Amino acid sequence: MSKAQSLSEKKRIRMTWADWIIYVFLALFALITFYQLWYVIIGSFSNGQQYASGGVFLTPVGFTFANYEVIMQDVEFWTAFRNSVLRTATGVAVELLFTALVAYAMCNKYLRCKKSYYWIFIFTMFFSGGIVPMYLLIRILGLYDNFFVYIFPAMFSVYNMIIISNFYKGIPDSLYEASELDGAGELTIWWKIYMPLSKPVLATVSLWIAVEHWNSYMGTMLYTEAGDWTLTLQYYLKQLINEASGVGSSSEYTDLVTAKTISYAGIVVALIPIMCVYPFIQKHFTKGVMLGSLKG
Amino acid sequence: MQTTQKSRKKWNARNWTVFIVATLGLAYIVLFHYVPMFGLLLGFKDADYSSNLLGGLLFSDWVGLDHFTTFLKDVDFWDVMSNTLLLNLIMLLINFPAPIIFALIINEVKHMIFKKSVHVIATFPQFISWAIYGGIIIALTDQTTGIFNPILELVGLSSAENPVYLMDSQYIWAVIIISSLLKSVGWGSIIYMAAIAGIDAQLYEAAELDGINRWQKAIYITLPCIAPTITVFLLLTVGRLLSNSFEQFNSVQNAVNLSKSEVLATYIYRLSFTSRRYSYATAIGFFNSCVSLFLLIVSNFISKKSTGRGLF
Repeated sequence: MSKAQSLSEKKRIRMTWADWIIYVFLALFALITFYQLWYVIIGSFSNGQQYASGGVFLTPVGFTFANYEVIMQDVEFWTAFRNSVLRTATGVAVELLFTALVAYAMCNKYLRCKKSYYWIFIFTMFFSGGIVPMYLLIRILGLYDNFFVYIFPAMFSVYNMIIISNFYKGIPDSLYEASELDGAGELTIWWKIYMPLSKPVLATVSLWIAVEHWNSYMGTMLYTEAGDWTLTLQYYLKQLINEASGVGSSSEYTDLVTAKTISYAGIVVALIPIMCVYPFIQKHFTKGVMLGSLKG
Repeated sequence: MQTTQKSRKKWNARNWTVFIVATLGLAYIVLFHYVPMFGLLLGFKDADYSSNLLGGLLFSDWVGLDHFTTFLKDVDFWDVMSNTLLLNLIMLLINFPAPIIFALIINEVKHMIFKKSVHVIATFPQFISWAIYGGIIIALTDQTTGIFNPILELVGLSSAENPVYLMDSQYIWAVIIISSLLKSVGWGSIIYMAAIAGIDAQLYEAAELDGINRWQKAIYITLPCIAPTITVFLLLTVGRLLSNSFEQFNSVQNAVNLSKSEVLATYIYRLSFTSRRYSYATAIGFFNSCVSLFLLIVSNFISKKSTGRGLF
């Protein structure tokens, strides 16, 4: 049925030369974007030595899984992977719950001095102490080289709070008043009424938070020694890539793999989780962006 | 409504609950955002190279504005400053309008399946980390295995014996600008596409009756209608003229291109944690934050005066 629909659509659409330019331009753009990933994928399946002489642009040369095997056998990779997964899962849960709870209070009619809270929150979006003072605070709090350095300093986001709060404001007052009359406490109303009703915005926000946690490596660089519980996947990859592009590398590798092709395999493995959540993000992002635009 | 009357009365359980919750949020903000602001005092003290940073903050000598006068006279600082400002101004000219143009172009596509698939592909790079994307850039620009040298050889700009190294300082700006364009144009256009979707169709219908063409439609109807969205994002961009993503720059920097790829964000990091000049770096960071805030306030003011719209 959809085929018939699109066919009839095609008949109606008349293509002018301007249309053709637009279509070709967009197709090229999509192709270039896709190719960047494809380039790394073919590299990751290539024989390292053969790859090193260049000219591998469309399909892998000397097809092999050896690069992936090297990655999979690396203990550090699994440590980094576990830490990144743990960090993302915990980070999302903690930040989402806390931010949503504060967002609820911030749009509640019983909160006094709402404006003062709001301005104190907003100011931090535009002014910060910088990295050395933050580093000092992390040290003082004993979070240095501690897994929780990824969780606690990122427990709350003013931007996400405003977005969730804006969504809450759109929930009919009558629902709130009815539950108030029934004698439900504020926390019960939040958990039983507001949270279930705001699933779309919570999904969007949690995907944003998840991507941020998964992709970040600055925290590992600044606040940790990249040890057993603090090494993250992105930082591990960063090192892998540095090693591959550095001078005097690729000495101790076998015929099958080089630092370069191993780093490509690492990149592909780290991309897989993002590719898995991307369809869901795709579904939610327009909604999310619309919510974000309310802010302005 | 009734809230003002109630606020004179005693606090009930509901007042207390939301007060405690909001104050927990406040406590978090104070601890992780306002307490570090006291650390800015480091910029007015002499705690460079100190092994105990807290001791340095509390007990080292006051030096007043010494660090500020030092870096304002420092050639290195001005190199980094000009990198940051020039690069961000170029990005303001190219990377800021790009998503708007992209949204206008993709809006002209009538085949929904084509439109959707292009957009899905164009948005994906936004979700790739800079660590990975930096790796991809390094791979693509590699002298022996990269894709660019064969292409440049075809045009006669490079040769197999003497390949062009695109990560070199003379090309790195182009690499940074193009890569951030490819990474963010799709995502950036979503907000404008949403704004375009919200335009009243009657406007177009009325204009069609007047015999307006597609080009005129885009210029005289679509653009003015999404102007508020553009203004908000322009303000945010201007406020970030001195700020760059640390991860973006860190992931493409190397010893060869550092003279051109060092921006304030990475310079402050290097000063703090490689050179351990904590006070000096904090002073520069403080200066950076103040200028950014100033830029935001000024551009907001100008925007409010001229268009009546602003961030706050």
